[in-house]
Amino acid sequence: MNASAASVGHDAHGHHGPVLQYQPGLPLSRGKLIMWLFLSTEIMFFAALLGSYVVLRFGAAVWPKPHHVHLSEPIGAFNTFVLICSSVTVVLALEAARANKRSLAKTWMLATLLLGSFFLGIKAYEYAAKFSHGIYPAAPRGLIYERPDLYYGSAVRARLGEPAIIEQMKELNARPESELTPDEVTGRRRLQQVREMAMGADQQAFDMAVIADQVMPLPDDAAGGHGHGGGLNETFPWLQLPIVIPGGNMWASTYFLLTGFHAIHVIVGLIVFGILLLYDLGPKHAGMIENAGLYWHFVDLVWIFLFPLLYLF
Amino acid sequence: MSTPAPHDPAAAHGPITAPGQLAETPALEGNAAAGHATVHGDESHGGLGLYLAVFAALCFLTTMSFFTYSSYWPWRDEPQVGWAFMMAVSCTKALLVVLFFMHVLWEANWKYVLTIPAAMMAIFLAVMLIPDIGLRNRMVSQERALHMARPADVLLLEQAASAAEEGADHVGNHDH
Repeated sequence: MNASAASVGHDAHGHHGPVLQYQPGLPLSRGKLIMWLFLSTEIMFFAALLGSYVVLRFGAAVWPKPHHVHLSEPIGAFNTFVLICSSVTVVLALEAARANKRSLAKTWMLATLLLGSFFLGIKAYEYAAKFSHGIYPAAPRGLIYERPDLYYGSAVRARLGEPAIIEQMKELNARPESELTPDEVTGRRRLQQVREMAMGADQQAFDMAVIADQVMPLPDDAAGGHGHGGGLNETFPWLQLPIVIPGGNMWASTYFLLTGFHAIHVIVGLIVFGILLLYDLGPKHAGMIENAGLYWHFVDLVWIFLFPLLYLF
Repeated sequence: MSTPAPHDPAAAHGPITAPGQLAETPALEGNAAAGHATVHGDESHGGLGLYLAVFAALCFLTTMSFFTYSSYWPWRDEPQVGWAFMMAVSCTKALLVVLFFMHVLWEANWKYVLTIPAAMMAIFLAVMLIPDIGLRNRMVSQERALHMARPADVLLLEQAASAAEEGADHVGNHDH
């Protein structure tokens, strides 16, 4: 990296002028150094995001429990396992490349790519589960309200007053009981009662909590699951009434931001691996594989911290 | 990797470059040979057995992070102990990945220059956010107090849930 002392004299071809002898300043290749410097910036980036999450979460008055927001710890753990496996395979690809076992290196690289894609697939499944319950990072798609108060009640009333919903409810009430599942029969009755409570002139604070509990209940513990059904939003997917999850908006914001940025980094890593698969994976390109591997291990590292912070805390 | 043979055998300093010639590539090639020799030497540090052992340790630690959920966990009443335990598990996993998969255990002293300031910055950044963001709920405006969620709201929802379980047939059947 630095030039050492230049000496004036004749070089090999007999030309005049200073002869510069370059020695590397650090015992690693440029590519590896640059990759590590880039990883330092990534450490800054994720430290900012994770640090803010930690501070926001522990400074919050209320924070939803994982089963309140349909977060599954086993799925998160499985994702961790998938990513750890992909880290192992990329290391094995590097070893194979250095040992000039090209096709083996390619196999391990392909395995890394597949495991990474599997991780993304599971993430997409998790996101779909959130979206189906009306948990989005922001309004207007996000249905989350913080408190079961009159503002929530008026939002429920607004939704119930929409023409499309009125149509659907009319059609639902018109169907005979024989056509419906038991859940739908109970749900239909409860929806009617909720509608009366929401539209009624006389409303108590407790009514709002009852409505919220009917629309989407917050179970006591994960094992309890959905004590009295999954709620009206689950029985009737077209309903999409506003829901109450205390602390839920902040949770959704931080969850989607952290996992979204992490997923973007995973996608970039997969693109890199895809391009590397087009190369001849021998010792000549072992440096490239090493650097791509460093990036991938860092992505795994971030997930190792994300998993407990998001899922287990 | 090929080492460019210096034309001048008396030049014992290292590869000599001609003016106008890109110095770095042949120099790097020459030192890459030494570097790769080190790398090949380091390769003997790694090896399949070690990587599989690290992998097994990582899997074990991942299951350990669930230990706080099991009935054998003694500190159920103090969640902070559980959080500290989970963070310790995460840091151990991270250390294993960094040292062995990222090969840092066998790298030279530059690794300290890189990692220690970055770690200090990360912790410092999180700590500096505590006064303004972590303690934001110590003093809230009336507007925020009107809309923010409170533990009382969670209690209210739990009451509604148990009321619904008791009066399973009729929802909202209570005296006004």
